[in-house]
Amino acid sequence: MKAALTIWEGRISPVFDVSREALILTVENGVVTSRHSESIEAPAPAAKIERLLTLGIATLVCGAISAPLQHALSVRGVKVIAFVAGEIDEVVAGFLAGRLPTEALSMPGCCRERKRFRGRRDREGGGGGGRRRGRR
Amino acid sequence: MKRRKKLSPPPCVPAIATDAILESISDGVFTIDRNWRILSFNRAAEQITGVAREDAVGRRCSDVFRASMCETECALRHTMESGAALVNKTTFIVTAEGKRIPISVSTALLRDRHGRVVGGAETFRDLTLIEELRKEIKGRFQVGDIVSHSPAMRRILEVLPRIAESESTVLVQGETGTGKELVARAIHGLSSRRDGPFVAVNCGALPDTLLESELFGYKAGAFTGATRDKPGRFALARGGTLFLDEIAEVSPALQVRLLRVLQERQFEPLGGTRAENTNARVVAATHRDLAAQVQSGAFRQDLYYRIKVVKLELPPLRRRREDIPFLIQHYIALFNAVRNKQVSGVSPDAMGVLLAHDYPGNVRELQNIIEHALVLLGEGQIELGHLPSELVPVARPSLGEGNMSDAVKAAESQAIRQALARHRGNRVAAAQALGMHRSTLFRKTRALGIAPPGRDGRTRR
Repeated sequence: MKAALTIWEGRISPVFDVSREALILTVENGVVTSRHSESIEAPAPAAKIERLLTLGIATLVCGAISAPLQHALSVRGVKVIAFVAGEIDEVVAGFLAGRLPTEALSMPGCCRERKRFRGRRDREGGGGGGRRRGRR
Repeated sequence: MKRRKKLSPPPCVPAIATDAILESISDGVFTIDRNWRILSFNRAAEQITGVAREDAVGRRCSDVFRASMCETECALRHTMESGAALVNKTTFIVTAEGKRIPISVSTALLRDRHGRVVGGAETFRDLTLIEELRKEIKGRFQVGDIVSHSPAMRRILEVLPRIAESESTVLVQGETGTGKELVARAIHGLSSRRDGPFVAVNCGALPDTLLESELFGYKAGAFTGATRDKPGRFALARGGTLFLDEIAEVSPALQVRLLRVLQERQFEPLGGTRAENTNARVVAATHRDLAAQVQSGAFRQDLYYRIKVVKLELPPLRRRREDIPFLIQHYIALFNAVRNKQVSGVSPDAMGVLLAHDYPGNVRELQNIIEHALVLLGEGQIELGHLPSELVPVARPSLGEGNMSDAVKAAESQAIRQALARHRGNRVAAAQALGMHRSTLFRKTRALGIAPPGRDGRTRR
């Protein structure tokens, strides 16, 4: 199975839509058998998706991704683990252990806790000064 | 001469006041240290990004802000390296819901009391509303060759760029003449495949065997007369878009083959021994209700679900009448240019008839009506006499010597008949739709000799 992790400065690239490089992992029985990086720079997001498909990617681990692109990848059979953040080695370890997505390696405001910011009015009316959190 | 008094330094603004100011403004503001960690994050920043302050502070700015410029054109990096502030640089951020928000960004250096650079500050403004207002002021939505003011079309035109970006198969449903091929062409033109071919096939126009060889091609010797290989439309559309018009007319046998191509992205030309690959994006269209075709067994369910990954329903022109005047102007300008005419517009009488017509042939019918008028007319206004006779059946004035009173009567008669038909004989509803009192409508129907409806429109049975 091949997985791609979009990378930038040794971390997961912040926005998949404009990311330029991916770390390609070939994983067999939970062990990485090959690891190299590939350029995924493309003039348009659709071409980036084609590039990933050409590389035979089954799973994409990336940072923020716009909904149409995530939908397009899912339709083409690519599993997307999005809104991941962190150092590449930590993310690879988490991915191999099947721990993604996890709050520790997620972008703020994303992942399981799904905290949602509510307006100031909500907070002022809440009493006690604490911020209410909504669960989606 | 009196010496100017030396200016004293401004009194220090207390930190509490600075916080209050930052909290009250509608622009998002955050500050970072030299390691790109967020130090402060104001209320507007929380609202625009959807990230709570306590989640943001201490995290890397690129993980919180998620802007398209972070990787290559980070505004703060530029400012911290060069010392120069950036003002109103536009970019977009991606929210946790995957929504792109257009923003403008300005930056400045953050210094300590000794003037040493300790980080940077970024101010950003949500441009979503401005983008929407800009479109409102422009007053119309145009994507590719599709022009519309109607809310129903606007919703479709707004999502079209995102649909084009995806590689999904699209099903376009709509009555004849609603612009299904224009939508398909717009999707192609907005996609990354725009430099590739756009290949259109009308599945209803060809017999089954011919359609098969058209779609998949054939090899030399496949049948008598096949002296050379002929590539099919799937092969010709490689790297581009294949538009399958009237997909509902495809026979069950061919539906199976189409399903295989869409699932496996492979096809076999007639007489071929090896499967060929295709990467053509498929946009299918039909004027039929494909879901009903599936229920009646005329169309395969698996193929239906394969092609309707994204489904667009184009409204008929009678459900977006607000577009009629603009389409008329659009086509007058078009045919003026093509036929070298100087037609200025449409007379109020003729406009009344054009607005009241139901357009079973939709935009194509309106286009033909305007073309018809411009054949008869070189300059001036389109009058009732320049419209096709079926639009003005009663008291149609003869061309060139039309009496204004007759023309008005004809337009009134036409408008009243169509309003009555639309409201199934309900005269009160028809009068309301026409903007007149019901007694005026009764008087006019008598005066114009319009027969009363066969049944009373007020009764439901």
